[in-house]
Amino acid sequence: MRRRLHVGLILALWLSLWLPPGLSPGGPIGVAQADEKLIIEAALDRQIVDPMLAAFAAENPQIDLDYRDRSTLEVDQRARDHAKPPDVVISSAMPWQMALSNEGLAQPLEAPEVDQWPAWAKWRDEVFGFTFEPVVIAYRLELASHMPPPETHRDLLDLLTHYRQWLDGRVVSYSPRDSGVGYTLLQQDARYTPRMWDLIAAMGAANVQLEPTTQRMLEGLSDGRYWLGYNLLGSYALLWAQTHPDIIVQVPNDYSLVLMRMAFVHRDAPHPAAARRFVRFLLSQRGQHILAGQTPLFSVRDDVIGPYTAQRLRDQVGDHLYPIPINATLLAFVDSLRRQAFLRRWDREIQILSE
Amino acid sequence: MISSRTSLKRRLTLWLIVIVAGLGTLLLIEAYTSARKAADRAMDGQLEAASLTIAESLQWPEGKPTLEMPASALQILATRWQERVFYWLQADNGVSITQNADLPITAAMQEQARHQPVYLDAVYDGRPIRLSGREVDSAGWDTQEPVQLWVGHTRRGRDLLAQELFRKSATRFAAMVLITAALVAIAMRTMLAPLRRLRQALRDRRADDISPLTLGVPQEMQELIETLNRLFADQRHHRDALLRFIADASHQLKTPLAGLQSTSELALTRRDPDAWYQALTTVHDSAERTSRLAGQMLSITRLQHLAPGHGRQPLMLDQLMREVAIDWADRQDSRDHDLGLAIDVDTPVWVEGERWALHELLNNLIDNACRYTPPGSEITLGLTIDDHDGDAERVILTIEDNGPGVDTESLARLTQPFERGQRQDTHGSGLGLAIADSIADRHGSHLTVSLRDPHGLRVSLTLPRCAPFEESET
Repeated sequence: MRRRLHVGLILALWLSLWLPPGLSPGGPIGVAQADEKLIIEAALDRQIVDPMLAAFAAENPQIDLDYRDRSTLEVDQRARDHAKPPDVVISSAMPWQMALSNEGLAQPLEAPEVDQWPAWAKWRDEVFGFTFEPVVIAYRLELASHMPPPETHRDLLDLLTHYRQWLDGRVVSYSPRDSGVGYTLLQQDARYTPRMWDLIAAMGAANVQLEPTTQRMLEGLSDGRYWLGYNLLGSYALLWAQTHPDIIVQVPNDYSLVLMRMAFVHRDAPHPAAARRFVRFLLSQRGQHILAGQTPLFSVRDDVIGPYTAQRLRDQVGDHLYPIPINATLLAFVDSLRRQAFLRRWDREIQILSE
Repeated sequence: MISSRTSLKRRLTLWLIVIVAGLGTLLLIEAYTSARKAADRAMDGQLEAASLTIAESLQWPEGKPTLEMPASALQILATRWQERVFYWLQADNGVSITQNADLPITAAMQEQARHQPVYLDAVYDGRPIRLSGREVDSAGWDTQEPVQLWVGHTRRGRDLLAQELFRKSATRFAAMVLITAALVAIAMRTMLAPLRRLRQALRDRRADDISPLTLGVPQEMQELIETLNRLFADQRHHRDALLRFIADASHQLKTPLAGLQSTSELALTRRDPDAWYQALTTVHDSAERTSRLAGQMLSITRLQHLAPGHGRQPLMLDQLMREVAIDWADRQDSRDHDLGLAIDVDTPVWVEGERWALHELLNNLIDNACRYTPPGSEITLGLTIDDHDGDAERVILTIEDNGPGVDTESLARLTQPFERGQRQDTHGSGLGLAIADSIADRHGSHLTVSLRDPHGLRVSLTLPRCAPFEESET
């Protein structure tokens, strides 16, 4: 009896030695786990965020990452799709992200990274602003040879007033109708100063062109279709300027809005474990380090060092960075009545000088 | 239930625990409810502020209500606990103006809000929320349709606030309980100290110590001490009686024995057979009396030590009396007396008793009467109805004589052993009435001795009648 037991034991040991590591019981990587999916609906250019995704994929080879890059309004629609909810939702349309959380579509995250995350960059431990992207003015280099390059909002208004003929049809900005980001930025501008409407009127007079994305604006600038762009996302613009030396990016010197990309784990996430792991990675020191070093998205964390950090940006630009606050005030922006009223006023103001 | 043998301390503790637990539960429920109410009161202020801020922003351009949602109102509504916020604005005609959630607002709720601002609990999206509704109306040049404005938020802040308040109450309560427990423990020690002292005092007492206890104890225990002291006094009394009885008995026995000794000594000095004969007769009489005395003493001791009520059964008292009377009529001792029997009741008279004891009682009473009355006296054994309560349920057994009687002072002492009513002229032992009294006592009665007019003595006792004993008939 005892001898047979020994034989069994030895057999088991021998078998376990011969099993490939992936098949051994309790091994780190199981075949069954290899195809764990993770669906991310994001309004964030894949090429920009790629280093992050690559690092995450390297750390979690068992997770099959399905990253879908879309516009902010599309992302919002996808997040509301009850039939096929995504795991993680990332968008720069902050009010819409807040609205999703307010509607209960986000699930709270419990993790040390969440506790360490600054209070001003999170809401209900559900939605996290994980980037720090200044909103900038961009112009073609040759603009400077014709007029003083704009450094502030006031400069912009002056240029539009004094060089209207020059700039006619060559100014570009976000379409508040087609872009959640553009709408948010204008709303926030209007909160800070009522003179924003003068700027809108002046842009209207200069036959401002409206684009749905920063990317399109940058392309137009490089093509020479546009000379001056207002309210571009600094992250995209800075990356673009690296390869296009004819484009100058200016962080306004009077005040500069800062937009934060917001991420959350969907309440009905089909792969909640992977989703939580991904968001934790976004907030972790390692994730933020990659953000600061290999993307122009700017890290929020104080303890991260790299070319792109909120701290460094503050040091360079000064203390006139105004992050769009992550709080319930954003919800007012998505109120349909308020949005309609704002767009009506926008329509009125943009034509006011043309007539 | 609590057994009466459980320690007082444990019982007190148990009761205290029961009371504290009961009261505590009530108090905690109350604390919880009031904590929630307090939290609601505090946070309803936020709802009101947000609601007013939104109401302030309402405008009626061209008579139609419209609103530019003030961002600050939502921030107020969210509070620092970052609640989910809800708003719902509806025109009077039921058309929604703007809303961010399909709040569960019923017609009844709307009707309530029409008169004054209301604050209500509701459930939305599977979660409890708090709602506030008000009707907004504004003066203007044209008639303006009123609108209903409802704002609400989740309860996280309220729950946290209520929890905090409740925790404070609970902590206070727990502290109170601990302090009370400590105080009660001390109080219990203090309260139970007299008991311990009493126990110590009793334990330290010598077995034959029957002096009264003197202990400083609380009023409630004073009764116990008094009872104990009464018990001690009874014991002392009893012992005294016993010692007296022994002393009396020795004395009673000593006298005839001394007589015997002197008579026999005197006889031994004589050579005359006649004198011997005389002396022997005296010795014989004396021995007989002594023997009877010893028998009576034995009898009274036995009566006092037998458990009462043992061997009782229904018997016909009148028949017994008749037998005893006939028996006595034949005896030498009563030859000089006129012994009569007067049964003045419907016979048979059934009483419950011990036959031998009642027999003894009657014997003693008659013997006593014969001994202490001069020859020729009338002795009447009687049985009458006790008409005090008028229901003929009791009978009175009497024995009367027309002898000299006793003086009033001795009357009460007659039933005590060796009491002869100041009479030294008889051969009686003084135990007869004492024995009779003991027997009466065993039957739940007692002897009453009274004087007769003009002279004579009457001894009586009352006995309850009982149902006839059927078997004895057959």
